[in-house]
Amino acid sequence: MENPGESIARAPLPTDKTLRQRKSLFIQFMRFIAINLKMIKMIRKGHHPMERKVK
Amino acid sequence: MSAEQVTFPLAPVYKKKGITFHQALAQAIHPEGDATTNSGFVAVKYTDSVRSGEIAKIEYDFLINATGPKLNFGATPGLGPDGHTVSVCTFGHAVEAAKSLKEIITKMKAGERKSLAIGVGHGTCTCEGAAFEYTFNVEHEIREAGVRDLADITYITNEYELGDFGVGGLVFSQAGFQTTSKLWTESLFRERGINAILGAHVEKIEPGEVHYELVDGTKGVLNFDFAMLLPPFRGVDLKAFDKLGIEISEKLFAPSGFMKVDADYSGKPYEEWVAADWPQTYRNPLYPNIFAVGIAFAPPHQISKPRKSPNGTLIAPSPPRTGMPSGIMGKLAVISIKELIKIGPSADVGTASMANMGAACVASAGSGLRVGSAASMTMYPVVPDYVKYPNTGRSVDDTFGEIGLAGHWIKLALHYMFIYKAKARFGWFLIPE
Repeated sequence: MENPGESIARAPLPTDKTLRQRKSLFIQFMRFIAINLKMIKMIRKGHHPMERKVK
Repeated sequence: MSAEQVTFPLAPVYKKKGITFHQALAQAIHPEGDATTNSGFVAVKYTDSVRSGEIAKIEYDFLINATGPKLNFGATPGLGPDGHTVSVCTFGHAVEAAKSLKEIITKMKAGERKSLAIGVGHGTCTCEGAAFEYTFNVEHEIREAGVRDLADITYITNEYELGDFGVGGLVFSQAGFQTTSKLWTESLFRERGINAILGAHVEKIEPGEVHYELVDGTKGVLNFDFAMLLPPFRGVDLKAFDKLGIEISEKLFAPSGFMKVDADYSGKPYEEWVAADWPQTYRNPLYPNIFAVGIAFAPPHQISKPRKSPNGTLIAPSPPRTGMPSGIMGKLAVISIKELIKIGPSADVGTASMANMGAACVASAGSGLRVGSAASMTMYPVVPDYVKYPNTGRSVDDTFGEIGLAGHWIKLALHYMFIYKAKARFGWFLIPE
């Protein structure tokens, strides 16, 4: 089993630019729309209980 | 948020919808009735202030078991609000946890260094996503309080790898590459300076000490000043009896206490697990007019690979099935019952296998309209299907993860939408599960 401390220490660290982007109101508003669209797509794909019927 | 913002009385909602509401504890199911009636019924004990303690029989033609879990704090000595740790599984628990956290932060503000242990309190727990979420919320609160340098935060979990979340981890595309939830989660742990203990079964809690065993059989002690560890779940204390009054609980319920439905409970090994093991209709095979949905149904097995330590201790995250999947199962049961009433026993009923439905999870990592953050994830399907998706078991296009302020806004929007839906306000049915 891998040592979690070592594995975490090797994980990619977000740059200052990435951290700023995660808080940018404009970028995050666009991401808000994009994530919602992705979720709606996923919901439409797999949330229709009566589409597949069995006796 | 306060307890008042996340709770509301149910009776007026049911009254508005013309549904008879009994606030009572279900104690036994009699699917064949008894000596006095041929109709199935549930024996209940009332818990409302007017009829508290009164015993009654509620007859049914169809029954949906949606009890949720029993919080099994007893599985680990010293676990839970009656022991040495706090919990966030009920709003009362969460209020107590917030109070304890506030006290710890006050001490840190006075210059004291504190250790915080957050995670799951048993090798077979589920809801690792909730523990993950709470970890990062606590880290956020401590950072906002200006005392982050005085806090040692450790996430202790039964997951073999970070990002497992009880679903065997995720693979998704990001910036033109396929990446894993392991790498993605580890990155967040590194960014926020949080330690992790993985593949752990918590054996017992003593004041200030979490005693645990790892998958490799080694044992350790994690010292804490504040600990929030989730309990394992089991089915509620519900029994079943036949018409003669003979107990048939083992026919209706799995040993875990969850209700058996149309799943494959043969107990085959991990290597032979397939998507078709998972239930489709959530009907009990023996009594098809009984449905079990959400946490109440017995899953056929885990989704993550189960492991045993050399000492024989099972360390295996249980499959998560709260939230979106629970909502869909509930809806399925209702639609199926509608068809069975309209057409009769020969009616087609719908299916909603977790191997054929997706789920979205938005794990808060800090609140605030400008400074908040959350990890938004979707997966499709919840249970991997290696026949349909040979490489990763899931659709890479419909499985993704992203961290940012947008996730917090989504979490906030979902909160208000779900409360709105649960209150059955105008247009509630348009809000998806």
